[in-house]
Amino acid sequence: MAGALAAFKKRSGEVSLAAAVVLFMLPLLWIPGKIYLTLTIAGLAMGMLIFLVASGLSIIFGLMDVLNFAHGALFAWGAYTGFSVFKLMRVWVGADSVLKNVGVFSVAVAAALLAVAVLGMLLERGLIRRVYGSHLFQILITFGAMVVLVELIRVFWGPNDEVIVQPLTFRGSWDMQGVIVERYRVLCIMIGLLVYAMIQIVLKKTKLGTIVRAGVENREMVQAMGHNISRIFTGVFAAGAALAALGGVAMSVFDRQVYPDMGGTYLLFAFIVVIIGGLGSITGSLLGALIVGLAYNYVAYLVPWAAAAVNVLIMIIILLIRPTGLFPAGG
Amino acid sequence: MQTPVQMYRIGRKKNRFKGAGFFLKVGTLLFLIATPFLFPSFKIVDLAMNIIIFSVLVASFDILLGYTGILSFAHGMFFGIGAYCVALLMGQYGGPSYVHLALGLLLGVVAAAALALVISFLSLRVKAIFFAMVTLAIAELAIVLATKLSGFTGGEDGISLNMPGIFAVSHHMGHFLGIEIGGRIFTYYLILFGSVILFFLMIRFTHSPLGRVLQAIRDNTRRAEALGYKTFIFQVVSILFGCVVASIAGAFYAMWVGYVNPESCLGVMTIMLDVLLMVIIGGMGTLYGAIVGAGLLKTAQTFLPDLQHLAKIVFPHVAFIHQFLERWLLLFGVLFILVVILFPKGVIGSMREYMARRT
Repeated sequence: MAGALAAFKKRSGEVSLAAAVVLFMLPLLWIPGKIYLTLTIAGLAMGMLIFLVASGLSIIFGLMDVLNFAHGALFAWGAYTGFSVFKLMRVWVGADSVLKNVGVFSVAVAAALLAVAVLGMLLERGLIRRVYGSHLFQILITFGAMVVLVELIRVFWGPNDEVIVQPLTFRGSWDMQGVIVERYRVLCIMIGLLVYAMIQIVLKKTKLGTIVRAGVENREMVQAMGHNISRIFTGVFAAGAALAALGGVAMSVFDRQVYPDMGGTYLLFAFIVVIIGGLGSITGSLLGALIVGLAYNYVAYLVPWAAAAVNVLIMIIILLIRPTGLFPAGG
Repeated sequence: MQTPVQMYRIGRKKNRFKGAGFFLKVGTLLFLIATPFLFPSFKIVDLAMNIIIFSVLVASFDILLGYTGILSFAHGMFFGIGAYCVALLMGQYGGPSYVHLALGLLLGVVAAAALALVISFLSLRVKAIFFAMVTLAIAELAIVLATKLSGFTGGEDGISLNMPGIFAVSHHMGHFLGIEIGGRIFTYYLILFGSVILFFLMIRFTHSPLGRVLQAIRDNTRRAEALGYKTFIFQVVSILFGCVVASIAGAFYAMWVGYVNPESCLGVMTIMLDVLLMVIIGGMGTLYGAIVGAGLLKTAQTFLPDLQHLAKIVFPHVAFIHQFLERWLLLFGVLFILVVILFPKGVIGSMREYMARRT
């Protein structure tokens, strides 16, 4: 019996991979093939966008041991900064030129990254620094920061929903033998993969990444080696905030709207993702985000009202069988 | 021979009915009893009722946060469960009768206990911070379900209900001391009575040996474990108790307001935010802080529209002030952060510290 269990544990990687593939194909029983492919692409795109939010949350937690409830608000700030850029550069958004369309999107992303990174730095220096070490007070203070940031959005940009016009190049879709592929979704998937690759390269191949990874393992030791951990913390927080902002811009163009409370919805997705994937793990976040995105789209097609419930259900199942998530950090 | 602990307890017992604190508590209670006769306007009575109900809710949240060190974002959901169970049995699927009222209360308690058990078994096994995330997800799910399953819960429109017999709004019995005695007044005293009992129960709970163990777990989980306490069981008991009290507070709310909908009874950004603000401002781990927090916040919320109106008359052209007052949540958010940083013990905690330093 014990031997069988050990053998099972040794093979658990392959077993769970097989289980994942079976689960992934399961919706095919009810969904016609072509629609299934369309939904899969939509799910992957949504998953990649959620990954952008969740990865920032996960990095911040992994290194700083801070659970940032204001992450959703930073996401919304990113989206609103992008919205302002889109509004200022209306002409380029509507222009029939790929260069100008991509240009306005890039400017929006750059502005959002910059603005929210600065905001993140202020947040870390001003508030979160005071409550290192106490999870309870971190949650309380970042929750308060979230309320203030969301209200500030209402003050600066007004309390109503605003429409974002997709740049002309990003609109429309390709029809491949009945499988409808929206252009922007493909772009989202590419952005997500690019960011994942960049995070991995920075963490694994650069000196900074080594320091950050060492900081996750043992903070005091890194400090003793002469690295200014406090400055690194601020930098990591700003980077995590910037990832949320990137997610915010990409998501607002995806949804074609911004609204002050948009952060709450995606913060929730990000929480579910990091619980599924394991707090602190980037690969876990990617996998968790893809699971959430795909499950949401399949279920939204089959049973529309249950779409919001299915992710909580997945989270509960994962908590039951693997309380620390699929890829526990440091493991 | 008496141990120092025993001597301390005897000393505390002797002074139980003396001192400013005791008179303050009795005074507050008497004031709340007299409120319907002192202030004939419905607005003030409604405010007093809200303060009473929220005091109970916030105190039950304090048992989790202040006495057990667990942050739950689903506390508003348990409040909503209590409110919805009463509303479903008296509004949607039954009538205004005492039996339905009792059944609704019972159903709310049972449902809250069962759900609290499930949530604590799910998320307490891991780190404490998971509890905050899992409860937030489940609370949002509850709002979605209450909104989407409109055939069962009334959806966005919610459910209206009427109180039975002598508690009905339409019930009138004549006048006493210039005040109309009717269903409203009876409901007020019924809820006040229930709330006082619940509050006493919570004080007993925190002062019991069980409550002391909970505080030990909050302060140092490892040490409590090393002393042989099964921390998991104790935390589950605390969560169960807090959530059941919250559901009863929700039932009271439904009985008083006569209407439930997802936003007013389940919302994380409505109920939960208020509760967090109240418990932080009043003081974590004090129970009585709940009354202070609820009193301050509810009073501020009730009179804010008047203040906005006043600002429009006094400063008709200063748009900045109007905008500022309209975004009162911003003010409360800043206040919340300031209190967390500067007075983490809240009003009651800081006061107790000050008193202790003086003597």
